[in-house]
Amino acid sequence: MSAVGEAERRRAPNPVRAHLEAIAAALSRALKPPMTLMYPDVVEELPEGYRGVIAYRYERCVGCGLCARICPARAIKMYKVPGDKRMRPGYDMTRCIFCGFCVDVCPVNALEHTKIHDKAYYELDSMVLDPVEWAEFSRRLIEEQSARSRSPNLVRAVFDEEVGLRYERLRRS
Amino acid sequence: MAIDAGSPAIRARQIGVEEGLRVVELFIGPQHPASGHMRLVVYLDGDVVVKVDPDIGWVHRTMEKLAETREYVKTIPIFERMTIIDSCNITLALVQAYEALLGVEPPPRARYLRTILCELNRIASHLYGLGIGGIFLNHSTMYMWAFGDREVFLTLAEMLTGARLTHTYVVPGGVRRDLPQGFTDAFAKAKRYMLRRLKEYDKIFLRNPVVRSRLEGVGVLERAKAKSLGVVGPNLRASGVRYDARMLGYAAYGELEFEPVVGEYGDSLERIWVRLKEIETSLDLIEQALRQLPEGPVMAERYLKMLPPALRKLVESTGRVKLPAAYVNLRPPPGEALSRAEAGRGEIVYYVVSDGTDKPYRVRVVSPSFRNAVLFMVLPVGHRFMDLPAIYASLDYFPPEADR
Repeated sequence: MSAVGEAERRRAPNPVRAHLEAIAAALSRALKPPMTLMYPDVVEELPEGYRGVIAYRYERCVGCGLCARICPARAIKMYKVPGDKRMRPGYDMTRCIFCGFCVDVCPVNALEHTKIHDKAYYELDSMVLDPVEWAEFSRRLIEEQSARSRSPNLVRAVFDEEVGLRYERLRRS
Repeated sequence: MAIDAGSPAIRARQIGVEEGLRVVELFIGPQHPASGHMRLVVYLDGDVVVKVDPDIGWVHRTMEKLAETREYVKTIPIFERMTIIDSCNITLALVQAYEALLGVEPPPRARYLRTILCELNRIASHLYGLGIGGIFLNHSTMYMWAFGDREVFLTLAEMLTGARLTHTYVVPGGVRRDLPQGFTDAFAKAKRYMLRRLKEYDKIFLRNPVVRSRLEGVGVLERAKAKSLGVVGPNLRASGVRYDARMLGYAAYGELEFEPVVGEYGDSLERIWVRLKEIETSLDLIEQALRQLPEGPVMAERYLKMLPPALRKLVESTGRVKLPAAYVNLRPPPGEALSRAEAGRGEIVYYVVSDGTDKPYRVRVVSPSFRNAVLFMVLPVGHRFMDLPAIYASLDYFPPEADR
């Protein structure tokens, strides 16, 4: 069971045999499939409850501001929205650390994690969203998430005794 | 290759000889020599190390001061970033100190889940150290293998917490998520895989004559010296000292069968051996914890009963904790708390002072890497220069942790 037996761990190994064993170990592994995720050619199906970019539902929000108060990175701030009596949260994606405290503290479940964490932008400013933009962005994000889950290149990480992790294709193309 | 007599290096050497100097100063770093930004100022006489001056502090982020300006719950993600690869172990002691101040007890199931994530973190952290150690010795295979296998345990942690590294899983009063379905099966497979891999690691690394000749008898730390220098963690245990903060029995460790891995010889090979052996112990601990996992809530009743009934039902059905509004500004009564835990690199100590407001008055942290940094001054002296990477490899030093 042990990595190296208690008694033999300090005994100098036979140099020829040990060299051959090391090479054999590397070769036997080379014959097995690698555990590389071929990102971005494939889309990984992330586990339930993955903490990705946060989506906001304006219609559920009661404007209590708890999300802004608990945010450790000050990524969520409250904004005045024209035509709305209450303050609403806006989202600064450049600051977000995906801790998910805001999702956990929201009393009406207006915030939720999406499974998307890889977004790229040309301008920093376009990552800072006011409440209305955030709600609009979230709608697109959730659409994108369901599009990804229908992708023909969807793979799932499967634990395997032989190779550790295997990325299994969910659909045959 | 012809040596250009006009090159700066040769000129510097010439000037040194003309001036009658023997010792050459060599700067290693600060641009990420290994596991983070730090600089080693090495004084060499020919090829022999005369003195090493670890120049730390390049990744100092004023965490202790920042914590004084944030509410209690917000300090957890800050300290997590001290050792991002070992984030549960690093924050557990902090949360335990907060719990002592608040007078709240985590439910039994939460304590077991904390243990499970801590041990997953420890395995991933040791594999990280092993991989870095491999690349130090120019053993790229070990590097690739260890980082690949680390992914197995990161995926397990991701299943449990929703994030690969910055879990923010342990919060005052309990944990944030219940055990997901299929975790036990996934772990059983991962365990069998890892045990098989450890035997292969043995063949390719630990019993590989090339690696052994680099590590054996290099950087020997005697038992008495290890104690007097205040070294912690696997580096201490490799010198034959039976000390592990897990023996205190925090989280669920008191209820699990646990025996720390203790080495004997205190050289670089022994330190790496202790880490590999600890991976086995951790696998065993997780299996025990999963087998004995008690039923019940994962969050303290005090916070759960502040939630409206609809949210409480949601917590029960999804296994994901909702936090009450009062959680935003926790106000522990004035007082102080000291808490210790065993992180991947050794014992971490937090000392928290509360003045009754919603922010800590003072958070003092003594991190394991900081206590181990002294070894850079002690171990390489008298060795050849190329023994320095071997010693660094065996210490598993993590600069962001030491610098805070």
